[in-house]
Amino acid sequence: MLAGSSLLRIDDLEPGDVEQILHNTDSFVEVLERKVKKVPALRGKTVANIFFEPSTRTKNSFEIAAKRLSADTINFSSSTSSLKKGESITDTINTIIAMKVNLLVIRHGHSGVLNFLSDRIDLPIINAGDGKNQHPTQALLDLYTIRQKFSQVEGLKVGIVGDYLNSRVARSNVDLFQKMGMEVTVVAPSMFLPGDIKVTKARVAGSIDDIIHKVDVLYMLRMQLERQDRKFYPSIREYNRFLSLNSKRMTAMKKNSMVMHPGPVNRGIEISEELMERITTDKQLANKVFIQKQVTHGVAVRMALLYLILS
Amino acid sequence: MEDKKNILIKQARIVDPYLDRDLVSDLFISRGKIEKISGHIEKRDNTEVIEGKQLVVCPGFIDMHVHLRDPGDEMEEDIASGIKAALAGGFTAIACMPNTRPPIDNPYLIDYIKDKAKIHDFSLLPVAAMTKGLKGKQITEMGLLAEHGAVAFSDDGYCVQDSRNMYEIMRYSRQINSLLILHEEDNQFSEGGLVHEGYYSNKFGLEGISPLGEELIIARDIMLAEKTGARIHITHLSSAKSVQLIREAKKNGINISCDVTPHHLYFNHSCLDKLDTNLKVKPPIRDEQDQKALIEGIKDGTIDAVASDHAPHLLEEKNTTLRDAAFGAIGMETSFKASFSKLCIQEKMNLVDLLKLFTLGPAQILKISPPTVKEKQIANLVILDIKSKNKVMPEFISKSSNCPFMGQNLTGQVLYTINNGKLCYKRE
Ligand SMILES: [Zn+2]
Repeated sequence: MLAGSSLLRIDDLEPGDVEQILHNTDSFVEVLERKVKKVPALRGKTVANIFFEPSTRTKNSFEIAAKRLSADTINFSSSTSSLKKGESITDTINTIIAMKVNLLVIRHGHSGVLNFLSDRIDLPIINAGDGKNQHPTQALLDLYTIRQKFSQVEGLKVGIVGDYLNSRVARSNVDLFQKMGMEVTVVAPSMFLPGDIKVTKARVAGSIDDIIHKVDVLYMLRMQLERQDRKFYPSIREYNRFLSLNSKRMTAMKKNSMVMHPGPVNRGIEISEELMERITTDKQLANKVFIQKQVTHGVAVRMALLYLILS
Repeated sequence: MEDKKNILIKQARIVDPYLDRDLVSDLFISRGKIEKISGHIEKRDNTEVIEGKQLVVCPGFIDMHVHLRDPGDEMEEDIASGIKAALAGGFTAIACMPNTRPPIDNPYLIDYIKDKAKIHDFSLLPVAAMTKGLKGKQITEMGLLAEHGAVAFSDDGYCVQDSRNMYEIMRYSRQINSLLILHEEDNQFSEGGLVHEGYYSNKFGLEGISPLGEELIIARDIMLAEKTGARIHITHLSSAKSVQLIREAKKNGINISCDVTPHHLYFNHSCLDKLDTNLKVKPPIRDEQDQKALIEGIKDGTIDAVASDHAPHLLEEKNTTLRDAAFGAIGMETSFKASFSKLCIQEKMNLVDLLKLFTLGPAQILKISPPTVKEKQIANLVILDIKSKNKVMPEFISKSSNCPFMGQNLTGQVLYTINNGKLCYKRE
């Protein structure tokens, strides 16, 4: 079903596709536990990682995923600004395609840019994040992480906390979590929501305290300081009061619950300094926090996707 | 100039919103004028005969809001190509906006436009800037500009943000008895925005433009017009609340009129699902309720005219991502058929009422003599086939092709345009 197709947004996936990806991820997680962490599945294939927006984590994750499958990779990085016009983006991509690659992994700072490109080129594309629009592989690795803990995800209560408006992670996660039957509440002050609140399909709460004792999954968004053109949020102090996770709030969480974050954490903003410190020493607390696991699963999920699309 | 050929139109349905007339007749044009309208007219020498059965003859259309990009961006359009595109759309008069490079903010530039239009024997109505350089600060020489032929004043593309400035502009326009055409936009609400703020902007993570920015400024300008007595025309409205504000202002006796574009009538923001940059326009295409309210505003007479906001752009300005793409769409060649398809076919509006929006409505706003199909009148006429349905193809007479209706099946074709008694356009 996925063979040869692109993944631009969560809408592109049927629940069956998601199951298939997660199922394959299982076996690749197992590969990553082995001594020799490499399989020959994609030998002879070439994956192009094209990043028009700076990123270390996602780029490394895709590159490692490709290499673990024995695919070759080529990397291209450029800032969006030096490739202003649509023509030049298409030219760049076509030059890379001319090198006979098999799949494109693309990140770009403009929402919807991949729809533009996919109309003009004829290779499968995986969206590695476009503007404020979507980051589907992040959503998949998050879902995988949740499912590893809970096995049954339908009916789980999820709180997504922070800057929903400017976050592609939030958008794709809300889409995917709802698709899989989870109950999502977005916790965000009005300036981090679209002007018309009705336009989010999720419920909305204004403070983390409204949901902290009810959720199974607490998903802290990264504050996208660089993506807020205009600063409407009053202050970090205000953020700490209503949106940050600290030790006190964490103790209010359900016993069998988990904390996630797409990383890297802005210490002192999304999660307090003091809690971050305690996580390193307190094993019980540490067990609730899945930030490192998310990173590991990121590689496995991307391996599964590359494998399903290319083989 | 060669002698004009006579034209005889046989047995066409003649529709004239000014005379409120709708009849089947022959019509004879000689020496630039409508010589005779009668049940049966004999053919004479040197006469082109048009078989008019099944066709509609009506007064030439007026588009009160187009961008001709001349001077400055003649690659996109110039006065000659713009006039040709206008004729292909059935227009025998168009008002061109001053946001060219340089902007039309001094009398010599009005002369330049008038001179160029004269060659084509076409009624091109220049609109001059309200403020120098369209910067919203220093008022232009509005008196001189009007003397040179500016039919109205506008900072189209921009909106005067400073309310005190706007107040003074209105007071002065009232004194010299001129019309202001207002593009209403509070920059604080639209800055960085790409599309209507709503379900689809959220779905794609696209920066939104709230309708509040338009509505607030309309409310402001209604208050200023009430105070100053200025005659104002709100162009390209987009939202339900805007229609409501103008409806009430009219009831309260404010000297206000307004227009809407065919694309705001035809589409709503669900069209964004394809992320077609040709649908990136300002103001943005809004939601279903707004679309409905615009149509309602047409039906109850709140909206006085349809105007294309014809805004040509080079391919490379549109063949890019939604963020980088320029705002604007061409529209003169599709204006009638898009409006006819939406309003008459889908909404069952009658043809005379639609034609009013293309003829009498804009003429009354611009205070030019009402276009009509009458004996002894200069023959400015359009001949329409309102039965045929066609797919909009990427071939345009305009120099640009950034048309949001591309690929749409639209009903109602302009077959001929007769301008000053001469057959100036014939659909191939
Ligand atoms: Zn405008």
